[in-house]
Amino acid sequence: MRIGDFHASYRHDEALFDTRVQRAWFAVLVVALLAFPFVGGAYFVYLACLLGIHLISAAGLNIMTGYTGLISLGHAAFMGVGCYTVAVAERAGIPFYLALPLAGCASAVIGLVVGVPSLRIKGLYFAVATLAAQFVLGFVFREWESVTGGVRGANVPAASLFGFELAGDQRIYFLIVPLAVVMLLGARNLFRTRVGRAFIAIRDRDISAEVLGISLFHYKLLAFAIGSFYAGVAGGLWGYFFRVATPELFGLPLSVFYLAAIIVGGLGSILGTILGATFMTMVPELLRAMVGWAQALGVQDASVFLASIRQVVFGLLIVGFLIFEPHGLAEMWRRVRRFFHLWPFRT
Amino acid sequence: MSTFDRRRFIGSGVAAASAAALGAPLRVFAQSGEIVIGAAPPITGVFAFAGAGLHAGLGDWVEWKNAQGGIAGRKLRYVAEDSSYKVDQSVAIFKKIVAQHKPPVFYGDSTGWAKAIAPEVSQLGSLLATGPSFSSDLADPAKAPYYFMPGPTYSGQIEILLEHASRSAAGATKPSVAFVYSDTEFGRDPIAAGKAKAAKLGIPVVLEIITKPGAVDVSAEMIKLRRAKPDFVIFHGYVLAPIPEFIRQMREAGLSSRGMGTIYSMDKTTIDQMGAVGAGFLGVMPYRYSFDSQKTATMELIREVGSRKPGNPWQTTFYTQGWLVGMIFDQVIGRTLSAKKELTGPNMKAALESINKWDTGGIFGVPISLKSHAIPVGRTYLVTGKSIEPASDWITIG
Repeated sequence: MRIGDFHASYRHDEALFDTRVQRAWFAVLVVALLAFPFVGGAYFVYLACLLGIHLISAAGLNIMTGYTGLISLGHAAFMGVGCYTVAVAERAGIPFYLALPLAGCASAVIGLVVGVPSLRIKGLYFAVATLAAQFVLGFVFREWESVTGGVRGANVPAASLFGFELAGDQRIYFLIVPLAVVMLLGARNLFRTRVGRAFIAIRDRDISAEVLGISLFHYKLLAFAIGSFYAGVAGGLWGYFFRVATPELFGLPLSVFYLAAIIVGGLGSILGTILGATFMTMVPELLRAMVGWAQALGVQDASVFLASIRQVVFGLLIVGFLIFEPHGLAEMWRRVRRFFHLWPFRT
Repeated sequence: MSTFDRRRFIGSGVAAASAAALGAPLRVFAQSGEIVIGAAPPITGVFAFAGAGLHAGLGDWVEWKNAQGGIAGRKLRYVAEDSSYKVDQSVAIFKKIVAQHKPPVFYGDSTGWAKAIAPEVSQLGSLLATGPSFSSDLADPAKAPYYFMPGPTYSGQIEILLEHASRSAAGATKPSVAFVYSDTEFGRDPIAAGKAKAAKLGIPVVLEIITKPGAVDVSAEMIKLRRAKPDFVIFHGYVLAPIPEFIRQMREAGLSSRGMGTIYSMDKTTIDQMGAVGAGFLGVMPYRYSFDSQKTATMELIREVGSRKPGNPWQTTFYTQGWLVGMIFDQVIGRTLSAKKELTGPNMKAALESINKWDTGGIFGVPISLKSHAIPVGRTYLVTGKSIEPASDWITIG
């Protein structure tokens, strides 16, 4: 039974992984992630890439919404900005290692503009302002034909490094997944700094935060810029992954998808981001696999009848999580961990 | 003891979760000689109105073809999963089925899907893909060499409607048209080509209206229509709404303009939902309707095979489309195997491009040849009361 953590130095206290067990598990995870594309098969490698993109984007939204309390309904549009930036950058011959930061920066700049009203309005009112940004940017994607290709969209060439094309899921995996790991670690570290703690203070009580000397304007905009940067990078990766950018890919449903992911996973938690994005990405796949099993077991026309039920089950699962664990999957995970840490004693 | 039990418990949990996450893959690899037809039809989601019929049509064709001995003696296996009309999910299904079953042909679900998989399909060079999208962008063998569409592009459909409008002119004066389309990729796709065709035919385009898809208030747009007084109003990028509302208000305003629609507004199920305002609506349909008074071999076969299944999906044009896709797969695979070639992308592309004056047994009223991997043939139909009657001969464009 684990009864506590003993820190013998400040360095140890500040470490991201503060126990040997955590470090060992992280090493195992890194090795598993490195080996995965060679053993996972095309379908699972595709899902891993998709999940990596969702993780980065959801982490960005959690920084804005979960940690700083700025509800954003325009997250997909920020991803779109990143995706189109990559398309334009590639046309201009800019390599991916410059195009991706550029995509993040372009989204961050747009995020700064959209975030300006956050000083005067908050809560649902601010959410509506971001919703407006979603529609305005959607309009720009459709109408600025010379840059975005209009409704037909723009093709994105494969990312390439010194002539080696990162085409195909197995290759692009080694761009998406390491970047997802680095950006998640970055997000986790952010909340151990003054900036991150300022975000949390603003979320918990903005007036008190200002009294403590935190510039609301500065930090709210910074939160929006950082969150949008994450979305921009995710959008850029989306472009390299799907090799196409069309306005319909970055509509309101995708913004709602990310909002649902961080709510189901747990607001204000990087672990929640990971669990929520994984849940939203993998559960529909799992439910579809179950339809396949039913078919294999001889259920007549399972694909037709169970397909609709699948949607209902997915919806019910989300509602169920919200009712029985409003703090999200992250809290459930923490409870399970606590149970095993203290077992056989009751938590 | 307790530590051991706990670890074992966690271990089993992790193992079970991994098995579940990995899909506990009931992988069924293609048996030697068996040909897999992969599909990601949109059985649920916004395109479900057509997806279920498309799925049933292709599935039933496979069943029927197997009963006939398969293609060149090789049995077929239809592997399909519902895509919900979501690009990420349909791409996932495509990857999964391609990885597990190596199908030489695949039926997808949308323009987004086709664009997303196009680079990979080109790179793989091992399969031929198609889907229910008639986006003009996809009918370009240079951009999407291994994609074909089982009908005319949306641009082609608008061209057929304009041909009809042009031929309907009694004197030298050409009728005027208005385009009403949704602000989506689907809606905007054929408009530029439509305007070019109208200019070529000397048909004045007097108005363009862009709306959101679905149910919207059309009162403001009606004021423009009343001023423009077009002879024909071509609706595109919708399935049903707001077409009935437009037509109702056009009638109430005393306009004699005739409403026109494209393939996904023209199924009988959709026309029935228009109710009384549907009478007089005219549209383009590439396929013969199941209730066509002229009996043809393939339509009779569809009726016979489809009638064995509950729910009568065979009566829809979506089912016919699914069946036709199967027939094209048959042609492509059959021609490739007859030439003693492997079922690779380039070989099947060559087989596809060799289809010339092919008799579909009545699905199309004329023998068809592919142009830019699309079938440039269709016919206009008029809604008369409770029936849909041919309003023109089969029109081949371009």
